[in-house]
Amino acid sequence: MATKKTIAIIGASGNMGSAIAKSLANAPYRILLFGKEEAKLKSLFKEIKNTNKKADAEIIGCAADASWEADIIIAAVPFAAEKDIAEKIRQVATGKIVISISNPLNETYTGLVTSSDTSSAEELQKLLPHSKVIKAFNTTFAGDFSQPVINGKTIDAFIAGNDEEALETVSDVVRSAGFNPIKAGALAVSRTLENMQSLLIQLSIKNNYNQVAGWKILHN
Amino acid sequence: MATGILLFQSITVILYYNNMYEVLFENVSKKIGLTKEEEQLLQTFFIPKKLRKKQYLLQEGDVSKYLAFVEKGMLRSYTVDEKGIEHIAEFAFEGWWMGDQFSFLTGEPSKYNIDALEDSELLLLTKQAEDQMLEKIPKMERFFRLLLQNHLIAIQGRLASSLSNTAEEKYNQLVQACPTIPQRVPQHMLASYLGITPETLSRLRKNISLRK
Repeated sequence: MATKKTIAIIGASGNMGSAIAKSLANAPYRILLFGKEEAKLKSLFKEIKNTNKKADAEIIGCAADASWEADIIIAAVPFAAEKDIAEKIRQVATGKIVISISNPLNETYTGLVTSSDTSSAEELQKLLPHSKVIKAFNTTFAGDFSQPVINGKTIDAFIAGNDEEALETVSDVVRSAGFNPIKAGALAVSRTLENMQSLLIQLSIKNNYNQVAGWKILHN
Repeated sequence: MATGILLFQSITVILYYNNMYEVLFENVSKKIGLTKEEEQLLQTFFIPKKLRKKQYLLQEGDVSKYLAFVEKGMLRSYTVDEKGIEHIAEFAFEGWWMGDQFSFLTGEPSKYNIDALEDSELLLLTKQAEDQMLEKIPKMERFFRLLLQNHLIAIQGRLASSLSNTAEEKYNQLVQACPTIPQRVPQHMLASYLGITPETLSRLRKNISLRK
């Protein structure tokens, strides 16, 4: 019997955070929800419990406390908020997996605000030097979580990081959310992954994908 | 004024989380001396983890990935026999370590379960972090050597006691080692640890109190 892992979702009242929470609450994880918007958080919690009575989920009123109790922390916040969150959770995040989901998009969604020699994941790693930062869930739209299979094809979800064991653990999380995990490489590969989503967002706006779109590698 | 409040808040935050390592530092300083810098460095190897009452740190069949130091609360390790009966192997209170050393060192699946008997605050050490820590802070080698010695003595004592001591002697030894144990651990768990029935333990305690 596998020991149940606890996942803290910081920013669970947001679009991505709530999509991840709903998806993972159906998997054998304990989910701790922290978010700024209390009303949204409460309705998210209600929805989770209505869908799955056995879901092991709980609202926690403090980012640091949620992270202290967690084995895995998902920073489901925009790039601009990561510094603030990192300050709050740094001490309790030592040795833990911290998932960076953000894409540092500019205001017009036409590109990234980070320079080409870094990524939001690498910046988060600098802020949390004793944690294992893993890039994941940044190439998937919030809408994909309720529909991870499009036209019979499971969306690929790329992950990147420097710790092999942590990549394995996050692969399981990604699989639990219904996606096909692909280990793309070291954390610096996040630069490519963040640019990939920038492109997908631009294409989604142009071609009306309605935020249900994803990447798929076709191979033999 | 506003600055004053902000300053106060940030100090509170710092104190709150410095407490996470208080018992560990106290324990380490009893055996070896660390500088403030070394204490700061030591923190970076431990995973701070809260576990609520009844939650598991380890379940049978999993590999024991961590050695756990108890900052606050209480853990127990136990096996379950083929009849589904629990046999408690060890308790761990504030300042004690808990883990399945065999599984931790060999990577073999554990035969033990470890769970929290109270809401607990733990510091977890992985094998990788332990190796890195011993490399960066060689003084900690001595700390862990002394710790293992004590553990070996305790295990031998428990083995000898379980082979030849009466239930009452075993109970007295346990209470001597940890005087608060009768208040903190339910009677049936104490009985399980001592390898006797709860009825025998109850009788035994009555006899002891009558003699006082």
